[in-house]
Amino acid sequence: MTTATAVPTISTFPGLDAWATGALERAGKANEPAWAVEQRRAAAGTARALGFPARDHELWRRIDFRTLEQAFGALDPFREGPVTRNLDDLPGALLERLGSETGRVGLVIQRNAGAVVEQTAPELAKQGVIVCSLDHALARHGDKLRERLGSLITPDYDGYAALGAALRSGGAFVYVPDGVEAALPIRLFDWIDGAGVLAAPRTVIVLGKGARATVVHEQLSDTTEGIAFHLGGTELFLGEDSKLVYGTLQEWGRHVYHYSNQRAQVARGAELQWIQTILGGRMVKTNSYYNLVGPGAQAFVHGFMFGDQRQQFHLHTLQRHLADHCTSDLLIKGCLKDRARSIYQGLIQVAEGAQRTDAYQANRNLLLSDTARADSIPGLEILANDVRCTHGATIGTVDPEQVYYLMARGLPRAEAQRLIVEGFFAPVIDRIPLEGIRDHLRQVIQWKLG
Amino acid sequence: MSTAEPKLDLREGYTEKYGFHDEDGFVFKSRRGLDREIVAQISDMKGEPAWMRDYRLKALEIFEKKPMPSWGPDLSAIDFQNIFYYVKPTSEEAKSWEDVPADMKRTFDKLGIPEAEQKFLSGVGAQYDSEVVYHKIQEKLEKQGVLFLSCDQGLKEHEALFKQYFGTVIPSTDNKFAALNSSVWSGGSFIYVPKGVHVDVPLQAYFRINTRDMGQFERTLIIVDEGAFVHYVEGCTAPTYSSDSLHSAVVEIIVKPGARCRYTTIQNWSNNVYNLVTKRAVAYRDATMEWVDGNLGSKITQKYPSVYMMEPGAHGEILSIAFAGKGQHQDAGGKVIHCAPNTSSKIISKSISKDGGRAGYRGLVKVQKGAVDSRSTVNCDALILDEISRSDTYPYMEIEEDRVSIGHEATVSKIGDEQIFYLQSRGINKEEAAAMIVSGFIEPIVKELPMEYAVEMNRLIQLQMEGSVG
Repeated sequence: MTTATAVPTISTFPGLDAWATGALERAGKANEPAWAVEQRRAAAGTARALGFPARDHELWRRIDFRTLEQAFGALDPFREGPVTRNLDDLPGALLERLGSETGRVGLVIQRNAGAVVEQTAPELAKQGVIVCSLDHALARHGDKLRERLGSLITPDYDGYAALGAALRSGGAFVYVPDGVEAALPIRLFDWIDGAGVLAAPRTVIVLGKGARATVVHEQLSDTTEGIAFHLGGTELFLGEDSKLVYGTLQEWGRHVYHYSNQRAQVARGAELQWIQTILGGRMVKTNSYYNLVGPGAQAFVHGFMFGDQRQQFHLHTLQRHLADHCTSDLLIKGCLKDRARSIYQGLIQVAEGAQRTDAYQANRNLLLSDTARADSIPGLEILANDVRCTHGATIGTVDPEQVYYLMARGLPRAEAQRLIVEGFFAPVIDRIPLEGIRDHLRQVIQWKLG
Repeated sequence: MSTAEPKLDLREGYTEKYGFHDEDGFVFKSRRGLDREIVAQISDMKGEPAWMRDYRLKALEIFEKKPMPSWGPDLSAIDFQNIFYYVKPTSEEAKSWEDVPADMKRTFDKLGIPEAEQKFLSGVGAQYDSEVVYHKIQEKLEKQGVLFLSCDQGLKEHEALFKQYFGTVIPSTDNKFAALNSSVWSGGSFIYVPKGVHVDVPLQAYFRINTRDMGQFERTLIIVDEGAFVHYVEGCTAPTYSSDSLHSAVVEIIVKPGARCRYTTIQNWSNNVYNLVTKRAVAYRDATMEWVDGNLGSKITQKYPSVYMMEPGAHGEILSIAFAGKGQHQDAGGKVIHCAPNTSSKIISKSISKDGGRAGYRGLVKVQKGAVDSRSTVNCDALILDEISRSDTYPYMEIEEDRVSIGHEATVSKIGDEQIFYLQSRGINKEEAAAMIVSGFIEPIVKELPMEYAVEMNRLIQLQMEGSVG
């Protein structure tokens, strides 16, 4: 029902041909390997055939990207970031986030349609860990990407996925060799300057057999007038018995439309911990698929979103149990105020023969105003019998008894509500690997509550 | 659980018990296919007022315009032009059982209808192909003003009342199959329960398809006036043919303030019937609507009974059991729409799939703006009895209000080895143990059925469980 299906064309992407040609020229200049250039060419053809997703498509009928679609012609998919000689040339907000850790991390910073900073800390380089921009990775480590890039996010998924593959601009590549535990955390950033930008970065993370790593991927920008579009893609490959902690923290300015596809392939005995927070952007749509392909693979997904004003968030998740003895546990929490709207659309699929599956899916929603709206659509498709699959969803408001309890102890109402909301998010925030980010998120929640 | 055991057909015994058919004995049968001429012909045969004829023709246009649903089970095999849309079995509806034509009487005797009427029921209707052939209601109720007629009689005898409500709950534009029913509807029940009248014992209708390649499109309209109560029960069976039949009913229910209506369905169509039904109730202030929906038969069932809670204090309840065996796809579920403050609803769904069957729950909980302090809980449990069967759960929740409490829980599992072991260690054999566990699984819903149906349901489940656990 909600798996990859080609959606019928309603209208084509304006200016696609010129963009596609521009992207091929750019790829030529960057010395992309022939197979990657061919991928772009084929994807452009698919994008032409598919066009914008149809309004009545199951994954598109609850969120309206028309404002973006109408402004599409004015977007620039090739805008480079300003020249960056050192970190001081980066926007203040980004530097602040990076804090004092600059020397002690693997780092890739993407600005608009290209990477501006890439550094592998000496500790990581010594271990053979690769942290670099995807463009450099294509030139230098093409063999590691050839079978992987575009294998989990195929262009025929929908028109945007095809467009993103054709216009691919920047992104990051992380590679941790067999048996290596990355000595330092790896941080990836996406930044967008102002309106009119169309950024289509692709991130590929590969963990070898028994490897371990922590990667934090942050997306942020200032807020300006107009419209910008982040069309992202992330492909994660977890080798046997590896473990990846991956955090994606999205805090775009309010002019950014966000559509991204995220895919993880988890092999035998490997473990994925994925923490996802969605706070910014005007309209945000993500499709996250977790493919458990080897026996005993595990995926733990924790996410939260907090919408205010007229923000709209649409999360689609798919826990795909393709082998036996796998575990997946997903918890998505949403909090909405003002006229914000969230849609959670999740599915657990258990393939035939995927016995001894343990799958859990929960979506909890807290509505803070009577004009906010939350839709929750958790689903199960089970084709094996020796399984334990449960899902739950709740939608409610702040419990007046809890507010009363706190107020009876002298807390003002607003403070009581803040405590309750913070408590609501605590189970997710506690899982975020870096202390600085946890503090920052608590501040954002407080600021959002007003 | 070993799979080496030979598998029994889930629906074994159906052919002997229900799958027989009578020789064709109709007095009129429209030609195959659907067009304006056929629809006009049906209307003429029934001698309907002009407004109904226009309504039907309009609905036909809507049907032709609407695309097939793009979601849910695969309906592409339905050939709308190969179906007989109207088969009139007798020239007149019988007032007493003796007047029912002999072969039909035999059929309903076999199905135990007259017996049930005497023992358990306040009234009985029996539909055979396109028309209701028998209708009877207790005199006591008739005197209290309770109407229990075929829908066609309802239109004839109580046109004003009929016209006031017909098509108001489910307009013909609602969906493709509602449009189809609106254009070719025939038979079904028309029930009116006056203010304050409690019909203590259920009214029952029995639906039977006999003719091959036949489409049955009954239409039911139930109006429960203020403070009244009625329990309506319907059952359905059909002969086992190699070609497919289509059953596409529309059921509209109006539950006025303080009233309560319970609608129980035991759907046991043969495995060659497409069962695509639209059922909807509106419940007003402090009214209660309850759907008890058992789906055992058919090839594909798509049925999501719904309750629109229009005024404060309204309550909706949906209890659904789906049992899918070999070649069956039960896409069952329910919808509750909270349109007013202080409304509450509860959905309980139990589905069992076996022998490659596919059973599912598809539901919607919607809280509209302003429906503050609404409460809704949804519980879906699924049992998968072997490795080749499938279970789906698609609950939709659309909430536009903050002061609400909405919960949904679903589980999918198999019969626990420990449970079987526990029972076996007490001297119960494996098969019996499995049947007991399944009976326990569906018990919360079976106990809501009228006694004779509960017995029948348990018997069916037991029969279907035989030899299933190795």
